[in-house]
This record gives sequence, structure tokens and C-alpha cells, in this order.
Amino acid sequence: MEFKLEAHRIVSISLGKIYNSRVQRGGIKLHKNLLVSLVLRSARQVYLSDPCPGLYLTGHPGAPALPQQPGESVAGPPAGWGEPPPPAACAAWPEPEPQMELPAVPEVPREGDAEPAATVTGAGDTLQGGEAEAAEAAWRRVEGLRETAVGGAGVPAGGSDVFPQGPGAARRPCGCPPGDEDKMSASPRVDGCRTPRPAGPEPPVPPPVCPRKRGAEGVGGGPADCPAPGSTPLKKPRRNSEEQPGGAAAGAAAEEEEEMETGNVANLISIFGSSFSGLLRKSPGGGREEAEGEKSGPEAAEPGQICCDKPVLRDINSWSTAIVAF
Amino acid sequence: MAGAGGGGCPAGGNDLQWCFSQVKGAVDEDVAEADVISTVEFSHSGDLLATGDKGGRVVIFQREQENKSRPHSRGEYNVYSTFQSHEPEFDYLKSLEIEEKINKIRWLPRQSAARFLLSTNDKTIKLWKISERDKRAEGCNLQDEDGRLRDPSSVTALRVPILKPMDLMVEANPRRIFANAHTYHINSISVNSDHETYLSADDLRINLWHLEITDRSFNIVDIKPANMEELTEVITAAEFHPHQCNVLVYSSSKGTIRLCDMRSSALCDRHSKFFEEPEDPSSRSFFSEIISSVSDVKFSHSGRYMMTRDYLSVKVWDLNMESRPVETHQVHEYLRSKLCSLYENDCIFDKFECCWNGCDSAIMTGSYNNFFRMFDRTTWRDVTLEASRENSKPRASLKPRRVCAGGKRKKDEVSVDSLDFSKKILHTAWHPAENIIAVAATNNLYIFQDKAN
Repeated sequence: MEFKLEAHRIVSISLGKIYNSRVQRGGIKLHKNLLVSLVLRSARQVYLSDPCPGLYLTGHPGAPALPQQPGESVAGPPAGWGEPPPPAACAAWPEPEPQMELPAVPEVPREGDAEPAATVTGAGDTLQGGEAEAAEAAWRRVEGLRETAVGGAGVPAGGSDVFPQGPGAARRPCGCPPGDEDKMSASPRVDGCRTPRPAGPEPPVPPPVCPRKRGAEGVGGGPADCPAPGSTPLKKPRRNSEEQPGGAAAGAAAEEEEEMETGNVANLISIFGSSFSGLLRKSPGGGREEAEGEKSGPEAAEPGQICCDKPVLRDINSWSTAIVAF
Repeated sequence: MAGAGGGGCPAGGNDLQWCFSQVKGAVDEDVAEADVISTVEFSHSGDLLATGDKGGRVVIFQREQENKSRPHSRGEYNVYSTFQSHEPEFDYLKSLEIEEKINKIRWLPRQSAARFLLSTNDKTIKLWKISERDKRAEGCNLQDEDGRLRDPSSVTALRVPILKPMDLMVEANPRRIFANAHTYHINSISVNSDHETYLSADDLRINLWHLEITDRSFNIVDIKPANMEELTEVITAAEFHPHQCNVLVYSSSKGTIRLCDMRSSALCDRHSKFFEEPEDPSSRSFFSEIISSVSDVKFSHSGRYMMTRDYLSVKVWDLNMESRPVETHQVHEYLRSKLCSLYENDCIFDKFECCWNGCDSAIMTGSYNNFFRMFDRTTWRDVTLEASRENSKPRASLKPRRVCAGGKRKKDEVSVDSLDFSKKILHTAWHPAENIIAVAATNNLYIFQDKAN
């Protein structure tokens, strides 16, 4: 369990770094982003292994381990770490069109995979902004899992005003009409147009096969002088505008994000426009949103603690939510 | 109190006492980003010391001649030349800003009165000629003393110009600009022992240049996969062998080093030797890959060994043994339990460099809290020293520092939690022949010498 906690945290931090790298001076640093993606992959593996009680996952028998969002990985133009296109192509004009993918193939086999493997999306072009998409794609897998779970779990208590749609709905930050959802509210945040992700029921995925390969390292409390990662100013995610596949839970989940412990997470939610499954009901019964909301506050105050040896049970909820949010 | 550091050839192996000599740079607490030193390099004779900073400037210090009338300023380094090497650029096609930060400086071996160095940022390498001018011509026929051209028809008599002394002026002129050969960020340059060619390495490729030719370079290593999704490692550093002009090594983000022989084929994608130490499975963590990434590789002066720096250790390899290093020195093992926090604050991505002393008996590398470490390979002793303004009295001895990893902290020890991770020493250089070291601490350059010097 503590591994999962740490994994959660690491994932959110990693996503934050990938996001920040897009706006760094000097362009995206291939080396650093490669390393971050490796960490992200490891953490994700850990996270996806062995479902924990009270966490999402097994709404269904043979719980899907990796969300299969058909066409999800079509999420962008061919991705890859690729180099800039020839001058004629002009594709490099500032388009944070995410074009990168995680370089590594997830260990979990996909069967009946309607989507092209999320990691394979064709040749790369610009070196810009791609990792964000990679991370997003990675998370969509996780989400999809949750979405299906939630579908089974029922509607959580916290109503949210917003979310009408079916699974796989993607928030289009730039307001591009999605292929399927007309109810999706567009976020005014213009991040660049993402290719709409056709929604559809995700085929169930076989449970993850990968055993947890890494143990969380025991980390002592972080040094006092370690700042929170990528401390970009927090933009509160626009909860109300996120749709939520699977129903009402999203609203509640969104609330939790608000106090999310890592500023990046909130940013990422907004930026990546992941669908809010909100399924990650911290507990099977759901309805702990308020509790979580409060809890994430204190957690937010002590990021260093998260990395400590002793997992703090209360963290699980905000973690799950954070992850789910993506 | 003894310090380790075998020193330059004269002292070899004796215990040395390092003393403060000089510090260059502003004292301000508020450090401008542009002033952060990003590379330090002694010339081959050691009389010049070059630094590059994030603002794209190069500052060259020259060692003063020993002067009997001023014995205390023996061998001090003073500013010799300052020039703007690189400017920020914008690549309009890719919408990318190209930083002006100087990633590396490498001196060319001296072949004339002028001095030459290569400086590089992420994309462009420049060859600079640094020359002195201490005479000027007076009495020219075609221009007057102000430099204005004379009308030739007004010249009625010819005279021979006379050379008159003037105040020393040091000029830096860009003689060659090697551009547009790298798609990714250049991390290394290395001058070949043939003194005619050099290599430049970015994340995925290594190019070979001739110093005279700027419009062409040869790609000798290319690890870019056909499908970028299969990318698993990048090149992190590269260097030519000090004596064999056909041999080069490059390190990777996976902690491996490949030695290539340019005689074997034009494209050195297949290595001649592959150096890798098997990972210790018991120390696996989320961050194992990051901390195994090699941030610097340096051949020994003899050419028999090479040294690699990864996040927590320095390893010395015998070129004849690929299976494991012959020495491993822990730089700051106490950080192993802090990797998660160091990942959060990005410190885990810091690229520390390392260097040999002149006779290869000692190695040095930096750490945090303005600490730097020296390892004596003959006595197997190591010492931690600090570059700080507090220890900046002339010829004040440096006191060895200790970090307390846990448990009871003794007096004079620094606890791990009180280390200042914003004070990192990434760049250090050792004089090629003497026990003089240059240590870059953010925007300050410290010069230390041993007592005997």
C-alpha cells in the first residue's frame, strides 16, 4: 500500500515535470524527459499492480487493468520523440500538439485491443510538448479502468452539476467539439487543439500481469528545503466544466482536486483535460468527498511527508483522486 | 590536518593541505541567473582558466607571473579577457528558444602566440581566437591616426610605419562558427589529439568536425531509433582519447559507456568496447535509472583509465576491463534515502562533472551545500571540502567537512537535512600540472591551492 502511495505521488510529480518542460526555456530536454518518463512508467506499474481495497479497479470481475479507450492513443498526430520536421513542413509552429508518447511499452498485454497500443503512435515530429500527451495517454489508461469500475460502483453521493457523458469523454481544452459528446463543456483554456478522442465503451482489459517490480524506496522525510516540484501557480481546475464519464462522481472528485497536494496535479488536470472519472471513490461506499476535501488540505501542507516511509492512510483518498483525475 | 588529494605531479600522493587562494564573482546574495557559471576549464599549460556562464559569456583568467617584488600574489589568476560568446536565439521553425548558456569550453593546444578555444551552447559551436595586441602602427600612409582613410591622391610621400607599444589589449574573435549540425542539445565537445578535428555530441548523435571546415561535419555515432517510441537511452557525454586519435568514448543515460574506434567503420554505431556494471538488485527503486545515468566521462591523462560520474558515485574504469569499474567512490551516499525529494525538487537531474589531477593520482567532483569531494587513489583517502565565503581568508586552510547521515550529529558535522541543495558544485577543474583547483559555486569561482604551492 505504501508503494502505491508513493507511486501516486511520483506519478503526479512526474506529470508536472513533463508539463513544465513544455514551457521551459531552451526547448524540451530529451534526456530529462526520458528519465521522467521512465520514472512515470515504473510508478504507474506499481500503481496498477495489485488492487487495493477501497480503490477503484475491480468493479468488474476480471477487472480491467488498463483502460482501453478506443482511439485514445490516436490522441494526436503521430507521436514520438522525433526531431523537428523539415522546414517545409511548418508543423512546428507553436502547437502544443502533443506529439510524444511514452517510449516504453507497458508490460500489461492488451487483448482485444481496439486501440492502437497507446505507446505506439507513429513517427515523431517536433520535440515539443509531446511528453504531455504521453503522460496523458498513460493516464487515460488508468482512467478508463476507473471509469468502468465506477460504472459498476454506482453513483456516488456528491452530485456534480456537470457531467453528463459517457465514458471516454474527453475534455477539449480548446473547445473543439468532441466527436461524440455534445455536452462537453469547453474549457476556455486554450491549450491547443487535441484530436478528439472518440468515446466508446472500453473493452475490458485483462488484469495486469506485471508483478510489482520495484519496491518503494524508503525515503526519509524530505529535506526541509526541498520546494514542491514544479511550483507553477495553481490554477484551480475548472471543476464545473469537466465532464465526467460515468456520472456524478466527478464533481466530488473535482472538489478534492482543489486541495490537491501537488499544484501540478491541478494544473495537469486543467491542461490535459483528462476526463474525470471521479470513479476513484476512495471507498467502495463513496460519499467521502467532503472528508477527502478536508484531508487533502493538511496533506497539501506537507508534501515532504508523502515521501516518507510510513504511508499515511488518509493520503490514499487524495491520491486516488489525483490519479483518477487524469 | 591532512587533506586528501594526491595533487599534481610534484606532490603525488602526499597529504595536502588545501588553502583558499581567490574567489571571483559577485558577493550578492541575489544571484542573477545569467551569472551562474556553467563550465570551467584550464588551458593545457594551466596559465589560462576559462569559465562560461548561463548568460553566454566567457571569462578568461590568466595566471600572473611570479613576481619577486610581490611575493604574495604569486600565481594569482586575474581577468584576462571577457567576451560574449553566444547570444540567445530563436528558432522560428520550431518555435524554440535556444539558450545562450555555455555548455562546454575546450581549449585547443597552443600552436602560436594566440590562444584558441571552442565554446558551445545547445546548438552552435564557436572557435574563438584570443590574441594580444600590445603594439600599434603609427605613421600609416593610407589612413591617418584616427583611422580615417586618406585620399590616395593626397599622398605625396611614403613612409614606413613604426610600431609603438600600447597598453595590452586582449581581443577575442570568432574564427569559425559550426552551426546547424545538431537537432538535439549539445552536451559535449572534445578536441582530438590530432589537433585538427573535434567531436560534438548531442542526445542522440555525435559529429566529427574539422576545425577548418564549418559547412560540413561527419556523423560518427547515431543512436536515434527508427521509431522514436523505442527510445530508451540518450548520449550524455563524449570524449576523445587523449593519445589515440581514433578512439572515443560516450556515456549513456543507462549508465553504460561505449568505446568506439573510428578505424573500424565510418559510422561507429557498433562499439568496440562496452562498459557496464551490473546493477545491484537490492538497491532498486523508482529512481534507479535516473541515478545510474552518467553525467560526465573523462579519460585519465595517461589514457589508460576513464572516470564516470553518476548521481551518487564516481567510478574509475580500466579500459581493458569492461565488466566493472576498478574503483567506485561514493560521493554522497547519504542522499540515497532522499531520492524522492530530490526528484521532486529536480536536484536528481543535476549533472555533476568530475576531473583528474595532473598525474591521475586523485580525482575530484562536486556535491551540494557547496561541498566538493576529492579522492586520492593511491592512499584511498577522501576528503570533503567547502567553497564558501566564510573560509575566504587568504591562504586560509580548508577544514574537512563531514556530513552526518543519521543518528547523533557530532560537533562540526552537518546533518543531511540542513544541506542547502541550491548550492551545488557541478563544475570543477584541476590544473594540469600543479595542485591548483578551480571550483564553480553558482556564480562564484573559487581557486584553491595547496600550501606548498
